[in-house]
Amino acid sequence: MRKVWAVIRREFIERVRSKWFLVSTILGPVFMICVTVLPSVLMTRSGKVNQIVLVDEDAGNFAARLQTQLQGSGRFAVTLVEANSDGYDAVRDSLTRAIRSEAIDGFLTVSSATVESGVAEYRGRNVSSLRDMGTMESLLRQSVVTERLTRRGVDPAAVQEAQRGIDLRTLRVTKNGATGESGMVTFFLGYAVGIVLYMVILIYGINVMRSVLEEKQTRIIEVLVSSLRPFQLMVGKVIGVGGVGLFQFGIWALTGYLIMHFLAQILAFLHVPAGQASAITMPAISGTLLAVVAVYFVLGFLLYSALFAVVGATVTADSEAQQAQQPVMMLLVFSLIVSFAALNDPGGQLAIVTSMIPFSSPIIMPVRVATSDVPASQLALSLVISAASSLLVVWLSARVYRIGILMYGKRPNLKELWRWARQS
Amino acid sequence: MSETNVVAVAGIAKRFAGHVAVEDLSLQVPKGAVYGLLGPNGAGKTTTIRMIMNITIPDEGTIELFGDRLGGRHHSARIGYLPEERGLYRKMRVRDMLVFLAEAKGVERARGGAKADEWLRRLDLAEWGPRKVEELSKGMQQKVQFIGTMLHEPELLILDEPFSGLDPINQQVLRDIVVHLSRSGTTIIFSTHQMDVAEKICDHVCIIARGRKVLDGGLAEVKRVHGGTHVAVAFEDGAAGAEAMRAIADLVAAADDSGVFAELKLKEGVDPQLVLERLMKTGARIRRFERIEPSLNRIFLDKAGPGAADTASPEVAHA
Repeated sequence: MRKVWAVIRREFIERVRSKWFLVSTILGPVFMICVTVLPSVLMTRSGKVNQIVLVDEDAGNFAARLQTQLQGSGRFAVTLVEANSDGYDAVRDSLTRAIRSEAIDGFLTVSSATVESGVAEYRGRNVSSLRDMGTMESLLRQSVVTERLTRRGVDPAAVQEAQRGIDLRTLRVTKNGATGESGMVTFFLGYAVGIVLYMVILIYGINVMRSVLEEKQTRIIEVLVSSLRPFQLMVGKVIGVGGVGLFQFGIWALTGYLIMHFLAQILAFLHVPAGQASAITMPAISGTLLAVVAVYFVLGFLLYSALFAVVGATVTADSEAQQAQQPVMMLLVFSLIVSFAALNDPGGQLAIVTSMIPFSSPIIMPVRVATSDVPASQLALSLVISAASSLLVVWLSARVYRIGILMYGKRPNLKELWRWARQS
Repeated sequence: MSETNVVAVAGIAKRFAGHVAVEDLSLQVPKGAVYGLLGPNGAGKTTTIRMIMNITIPDEGTIELFGDRLGGRHHSARIGYLPEERGLYRKMRVRDMLVFLAEAKGVERARGGAKADEWLRRLDLAEWGPRKVEELSKGMQQKVQFIGTMLHEPELLILDEPFSGLDPINQQVLRDIVVHLSRSGTTIIFSTHQMDVAEKICDHVCIIARGRKVLDGGLAEVKRVHGGTHVAVAFEDGAAGAEAMRAIADLVAAADDSGVFAELKLKEGVDPQLVLERLMKTGARIRRFERIEPSLNRIFLDKAGPGAADTASPEVAHA
């Protein structure tokens, strides 16, 4: 046992000491801050008012009403200019020059035909600002509709009232009642859970593979297998590397929690107005979800790292490893792709089946738990299948590993691998 | 087998796809011996050692270590092993690496650390302890790995080509340590193809060629049994020497001629005195003429060299 402990300690300490670990551990929270805080910071920064000119070509009342609407949005400062069709070209030229000299951001032309045809023209420097153009278009649409209805004798006040916006609030309901979370937030939570599990299992699985390969390439394996049983070595390696994964995961979870907890202070520090800050809704990450993610990380990591250990043990060169790891990678990539489908329908047939299959369950089941209420019976069944198959795969892998680590030269095919696994 | 033999190998064979690495090999290593496993490249030395270490399993035959058949890994705490293919974790610090190797042998961490410090000091590597392995020169890495085999104070030390690739100074340092360990009771098996080294430090040898044992026993017996009359001749200059050698060619059975120095095996019944007389007549200036025991190198060439017959039956010299 002391020997296995020595292997665990070595794998853990050497990894935690490396620059790679330091960098990725820091980058995690930086990424989280970018995703949560940056959008609201950017929103406040880009809140400048566009200076535009509204050119009125015999549009009459309509132009005046549109001006009021645009001003009301708070995003446009509008100057109204009247131009009859004769003088229009001259007006357009001088306004174009004004845009070039940056005196104004752009000009919107409405004519008497606008109300009937719905055609208006905007020229400006800021046409690529989707948000500004979107606002302008929807305000224009409102004004046109109001104008059309008014001309047919509908009371403008009634039209105004009819046009009041709709806001569909999608709220997730669980057994514990409404959560106050929106559908969007839930979706992103599930998405994040899937991606993070995929990345962490992949990165640390490949770490195990590289570690096995290193021992083989440096031939240190001969000294090791004359001291420890190959099974002890493999188990120590998997636990040691997995421990680093959990450790990093823990650091990220803690900083994530701190960011959520002190979000208001952080935003205040960055001078984001309170109104903006409160607009950011954070998914409530329950202890259950964290536990499920951690358990499935352990199971999935065991399964995949054992497979990656086999890959490392059966190859001799790095370039061979690149190729030989493909089948294992495919299993993981497949799971990730299915998880996107599971996000849309976490209670569907596909999601249920793939959350039972050992190779995909470590990613699909946590995604389902994050986005829906998974029946306890399904969760239990998935856990049992997953745990049993992980142990089986670890056992089989250890048998192949034991022989592979001392073999150099030609890569074995599947038939040979199976023979190795059966050899006593 | 009795406990006096630390290692007893009986009739082992190992075949790899297409070729036989070791065939019907038996040997006994007495407790406290310095046992040289000699043979040309590809003779099966490393394969034999790997089988003794339980890294590969023989197709036939049995191996006993310390009087039982539990295998090398079972006794791993009593054995130190330096493989032929050297390797260390390149990114690890030297001292951490040594402590890990000791722990893998079941040594307690603190004790392993103390031992590592002690040996690093002894081999003038103390200041390299906190450095990474990859910063060390090849010779230093080899010394570090050598230290790694001794931290748990093994009773049996198995060294596969321990001196290859080392400069003469470091070779001497390691040789001194081997001798020192042997004096304090450690049994040492080492393989080499450098006969001069083996001759100086081994008290038992086993010569292997083409996977088979051709000779084994105590060094003195091996030399006695090998028989024949051997002389060493040294000349002052090579050209005259060559002429002198031609003059005695009919008296010589085998010659290991290195120009100004030659080791000769005389034909059956030839008196060395006659050889000296003939040499004097050629007028070559002689620096040395000595009746000697055959050197291990001579025996090795006779037994394992290109001239030795494939079917040579093993010549065994037991005391």
